[in-house]
Amino acid sequence: MAVENVRGFSLRTDLAYDCVHHMWVEVLSSGRVRIGMDPLGLETSGTLAQLDLLAVGVSFARGEHFGSLEAEKFVGPLVAPVSGRITAVNDEAIVNPGFIENDPFGAGWMIEVEPAALDDEIPLLTSGADEVVSTFEVKIDEYRRDGVLAE
Amino acid sequence: MEPADTLRVIDFGSVSPLRSQTLWHAAARGVSDGSPPTLSFCRPNGPYVGIGYHRRLAEIDLDWCSRRNVPVYRRMVGGGPVYLDSGQFFFQISLPLSSVPPSRPKALRFLLEPAVEAFTSCGIEAHLDERLEVTVGDRKICGYGAGQIGDAVIVVGNLIETFDHASAAAILRTPSPTARAELDRLVNRYIAATPADPDRFQRAAVEAYSDALGLRPEYGALNETEHSHLAELDELFADPVWLQGQERPSRPGWQAKVKAGVWLFEASRDGTALTLGIDGDQILSAAVADPDLNGQADELAASLVGQPIEALRSRLATAGRPGRRLGRLWELAEPGRVG
Repeated sequence: MAVENVRGFSLRTDLAYDCVHHMWVEVLSSGRVRIGMDPLGLETSGTLAQLDLLAVGVSFARGEHFGSLEAEKFVGPLVAPVSGRITAVNDEAIVNPGFIENDPFGAGWMIEVEPAALDDEIPLLTSGADEVVSTFEVKIDEYRRDGVLAE
Repeated sequence: MEPADTLRVIDFGSVSPLRSQTLWHAAARGVSDGSPPTLSFCRPNGPYVGIGYHRRLAEIDLDWCSRRNVPVYRRMVGGGPVYLDSGQFFFQISLPLSSVPPSRPKALRFLLEPAVEAFTSCGIEAHLDERLEVTVGDRKICGYGAGQIGDAVIVVGNLIETFDHASAAAILRTPSPTARAELDRLVNRYIAATPADPDRFQRAAVEAYSDALGLRPEYGALNETEHSHLAELDELFADPVWLQGQERPSRPGWQAKVKAGVWLFEASRDGTALTLGIDGDQILSAAVADPDLNGQADELAASLVGQPIEALRSRLATAGRPGRRLGRLWELAEPGRVG
């Protein structure tokens, strides 16, 4: 596992990211993918209070919602970074969303998916250590400049 | 369609409890479809209970609601179960997602500050505290919820002209008479009505939101598409399956929030029970029970009041084995995650 500190955020550089919706994608050795939320998305969400995830067996396309998250009484959708069918859901994170805040790349994963079009969709994500780092640097700088994040 | 620099203002007037929810959901869907940013107002013409999108219906005392013919509706925005009635004047602001800061706390501050300005214009010394609660002193005066509906963001809140504290507490299911009594006390202590002229509040809100958003207010109504959304939403919100919500595992222990930072916790196991009222990091009230406390329960509980929550376990440990049993119950609490 490759982890790098990018402007104060610990990021895995061996994953692919949807930097617009703040989701990460890990391709597992089984060919399935695991999906979770990145630390920048968590930072801008506030304290997570509630999480809903679609059930095992449900399919969705990239860009569709696979669940919802509530923080600060604000309900927002979780947007799928890739298309596929859900094969596993992290029930522990539903019971205690604190897992997502405390360990977003580990115990805080959200769903596993049998991908439907991974070869076409992975290139649409940010991947590769250098690209991940540079993309997050730009995004974090932009968020700080715009007051989205504290200086 | 209105020009891009317009804030559409809709006064829905006095409407049924169902419509006091579905009208603004329809407006938000309209904003998502391309209608201009919309500030709307309405007042329910009867009492009901509203429950946040993610919350378990089991949190509500449905028997109490049923006995009083108080309907329950699930909204698409966040927050907990709340008692609503005609003494509350609702406002809703809905904007395209792209118009609000990507940080949720900042988006809420951005969309609540004009409401606070409207309160102050009515002579109410309101402020938005660090926990994003609209307060006068240390009392909450405005309930709100927020969410993304399609590509629109909406924040809904209320001017509480009169507040039925007893009903507001009674709608919540509690695990014990101890928890019930403390819930009643904290609701009375921390939630306040701020009687004000609703027309004046509405005018002030229109001005404050227009100024903050740099938009020109123009009174309007739902369009044809939004009326179609409204019909769908009326049906959806009356559907028992929607009301039930997504099945979710229950969390151990019982928690209820009174206002941001102030909450109640109770857990019990095999005759050992711990009930706490908490404000931020301080214990406001405590009750303990354990078969081996041998008459020391009241003394132990009293020693906890006023202490920082961090000191809870060490204080309990002074009571030996029963204290440690009580301490283990505290592990079930999830501070900060009471919506």
